[in-house]
Amino acid sequence: MSGATRVVGRSLPRMDAPGKVTGTAIYAADFALPGMLHGKVLRSREPHARLLRIDVSRAAGLPGVRAVITAADVADVRYGGSVKDEEVFARERIRFAGQPLAAVAATSPEAAAAALAAIEIVVEPLPAILDVAAALAPGAPLVHEGWADYVALPILHRERNVCNRARIVVGDVERGFVESDRVFEHRFTTRSVHQGYTEPRAAVAHWDSAGHVSVWSNTQLPFEIQGTLSEILQVPSSGVRVIVPGVGGGFGGKLRVGVEHFAALLARKTGRAVKVMTTSEEELTAAYARQPAIVELRTGVTRDGRILAREGRLWFDTGAFAGSGPGVASVATLMLAGPYRIPNLLLEGYAVYTNKTNFGSFRAPSGPQANFAVESQTDIIADALGLDPLEFRLRNIVREGEEGPTGQVLTAVGLEECLRKAAAAIGWAERRPAPGRGKGIACGWWTTTGGSSGVYVKINPDGTVALNTGAAEIGTAALTGAAQVLAEDLGVELADIHVVSADTLSTPFDFGAQGSRTAFAVGNACRAAAADLTRQVLTLAARHLGVEESALQMQGGVVTAGEGRRATLAELARLSQASGGGLIAHGTFVAPPTPYDTKRVEGHVYPAFHSPSFHAHAVDLSVDAVTGEVSVHRYVVAQDVGFAMNPTYIEGQIEGGVAQGLGQALSEEILYEDGRVLNANLTDYKMPTAVDVPRVESILVQHPSLVGPFGAKGVGEPPNIEPPAAVANAVASATGVRITDLPITAEKIALARPERPA
Amino acid sequence: MAPVPVRLTINGQAHDVVVEPRRTLLEVLRTDLGLTGTKENCLEAECGVCTVLLDDLAVNACIVLAVQCRGRAVVTIEGLAAGDDLHPLQRAFIDHGAVQCGYCIPGMILAAKAYLDESVEPDEAGVRQALAGNLCRCTGYQKIVEAVLSAARARPAGAAAGPP
Repeated sequence: MSGATRVVGRSLPRMDAPGKVTGTAIYAADFALPGMLHGKVLRSREPHARLLRIDVSRAAGLPGVRAVITAADVADVRYGGSVKDEEVFARERIRFAGQPLAAVAATSPEAAAAALAAIEIVVEPLPAILDVAAALAPGAPLVHEGWADYVALPILHRERNVCNRARIVVGDVERGFVESDRVFEHRFTTRSVHQGYTEPRAAVAHWDSAGHVSVWSNTQLPFEIQGTLSEILQVPSSGVRVIVPGVGGGFGGKLRVGVEHFAALLARKTGRAVKVMTTSEEELTAAYARQPAIVELRTGVTRDGRILAREGRLWFDTGAFAGSGPGVASVATLMLAGPYRIPNLLLEGYAVYTNKTNFGSFRAPSGPQANFAVESQTDIIADALGLDPLEFRLRNIVREGEEGPTGQVLTAVGLEECLRKAAAAIGWAERRPAPGRGKGIACGWWTTTGGSSGVYVKINPDGTVALNTGAAEIGTAALTGAAQVLAEDLGVELADIHVVSADTLSTPFDFGAQGSRTAFAVGNACRAAAADLTRQVLTLAARHLGVEESALQMQGGVVTAGEGRRATLAELARLSQASGGGLIAHGTFVAPPTPYDTKRVEGHVYPAFHSPSFHAHAVDLSVDAVTGEVSVHRYVVAQDVGFAMNPTYIEGQIEGGVAQGLGQALSEEILYEDGRVLNANLTDYKMPTAVDVPRVESILVQHPSLVGPFGAKGVGEPPNIEPPAAVANAVASATGVRITDLPITAEKIALARPERPA
Repeated sequence: MAPVPVRLTINGQAHDVVVEPRRTLLEVLRTDLGLTGTKENCLEAECGVCTVLLDDLAVNACIVLAVQCRGRAVVTIEGLAAGDDLHPLQRAFIDHGAVQCGYCIPGMILAAKAYLDESVEPDEAGVRQALAGNLCRCTGYQKIVEAVLSAARARPAGAAAGPP
């Protein structure tokens, strides 16, 4: 990137910050309408049961109760993204503890809670499938007896309790093992972790007299929610308007329908606006937490440290419904290859039904689980070969122009630079600086999700600019980044841009705030709109000033002709309003397809990484000799961001992603017993606090993407990927103890230490 | 129990409300008074998004009853700026990029204010300890801590009241 930019590349304050520090920003959880009722959801306590009877008559008669609804009140439709297996309320069969059975609308949250307690249910408990092994056992009962009849993406490979098996095959893996000097086999396991957004999922729904519903929700994907609600409510999508006020964090947990459908159904039944908001207990029992995983890796190497073959399988517990599972299982196979050049691969990702909540997409879905396995094994192999783990990685990482696992040609590969810089910053030369202290390194790659984005951009009569986007700002400052792109290209200041976002009725389509794509895709749509608007402005200015377009220059909100003639953007906008309907452009972007070898993949929803990013994490930590407690001293991230659109907020993504990743590495786990969550509260579900998180040093590496705006790549998800592996490797370095099951608690380390002599 | 009249002093202004004794300060702030800058999440004093100042101390409004606030001074995030002039902590949070989704930020700023107001020599360990009851899932706390320390450095000498 040339140094000539004015707005992009600068650490400008985010546009929505003043409202957020003064308390005036309105989030979905704050949203209210006159006469609004409060909705609550009755959820199953049984993980697997037949629902024999549900009697709401007593509940419906309680004071303040305006409606009680069950499966009998909703259309018998199944919905879902890749497999249509979900239902609003359990009808005859209960498939997880936490599954909705009924919902109530009442004049106060307390009245709604009292009504929930008054609903009588009779169930017949059934043996539950509580983990992947049980689901895959020969003759295992089916979580969905009708699985074969469900509508599903045709490319999925489904069979009984497996709702997708994605596969990558490259070369001949068995021959690769034969040619290898050493073959290593390991098994790794991870547990479910919650996104931990501080704002509960919340929605307010209101129906108008035309039979159209408006839903104010903190979803990350308003257009997907519009579609899902259209299916559930059986109204055309034009009759569903989804509006996103402020969002208090998402991290993938607010992608799929959460409470919007309950609010809309209750509002339709009562004729009143209804608000539904989750409790912490609902979040930890019945949300879209990260899938627990089992990973088996078999890797063959030469004596001099070249990887020749890898067979890898990753099984995700996707819970009672497919949800994100089939797609995440696909992405997992790309992650199992790692950012390594391996000529022979057989990689499989499975999404497996169990009687648990529908686990979902959490920031870099599949990334931390697969990377924990791959990068732990990378260190194990390096140690066994007597190679420095950094050197072993450098011998095998992908480089510019090489192929990814499915044959995509990799460009803008900054991985070596990331590894070398992270290692240098952590002081890699001294890997074990003291007894009980060690350093670890891990690297990875990730995608910048494609999909399309549209923006409307218009020039206001005062010369400022309105940016109208269908994307939601979930906290990353991605829309500030996109606005920086727009300001740069239109020659105005960031302060001149006003953003309107995420209203399915009035904003153009956007694929949504997911997959590290918002600044990338909306930014590119802004570039297209700016180019169009610039042409419109110059055409109008040429006519107005009586000069050739080629003689005009546009900068700083002013169009000038050589001989001193000028017109401001404000004048031209007013002129256009008086004569031509105003200056407005529709900018669009869709990520170009990334070519790959179709023969290498099967059942694959996500066969190549668009504009992939590369990253390396390094950590320096100590392990208490007695308790096994881990203290992180320093944490370094070197991330290839392509182009640092706004360095401050990229650092913010890295610092936050690492904190969340350290929670997954060290302390976070949704604990199940007999299919029920034991720690469904924020006391016992242990997210890192300000005293737990170390300082994180960010190194922004910039190998520009050929597609991203000014070369930018997606930055939001990657920092969450490597922390578990980096920590596991550092713990092994510090203690000699290799923990293969997340989280790496003090207890596991203490118990795994060799017995000391008495 | 029957509703009782309570005079609340919030951000220096008197508010007469009639509330059932079981109702929390958080509920009354958000629902009765429309002061939604104080956020709602776990409702059991674990996450800290509802932090307000009660007689200068940071408390979780979700476990304080409105009737307990009679005759005491409540400060919420809406009471920090003087007109258009942001409080130095608010300014520092913006300048240091400490705000992402922002949902924890009102509580963070008030917890930080309580700490700075009572600390003669604020330091990083003290800031982190003071904010340990406020969960943030976006920032990793780093820029929040930097913002609070910068606000501490910028304050006039002798600004902290110190321990009473």
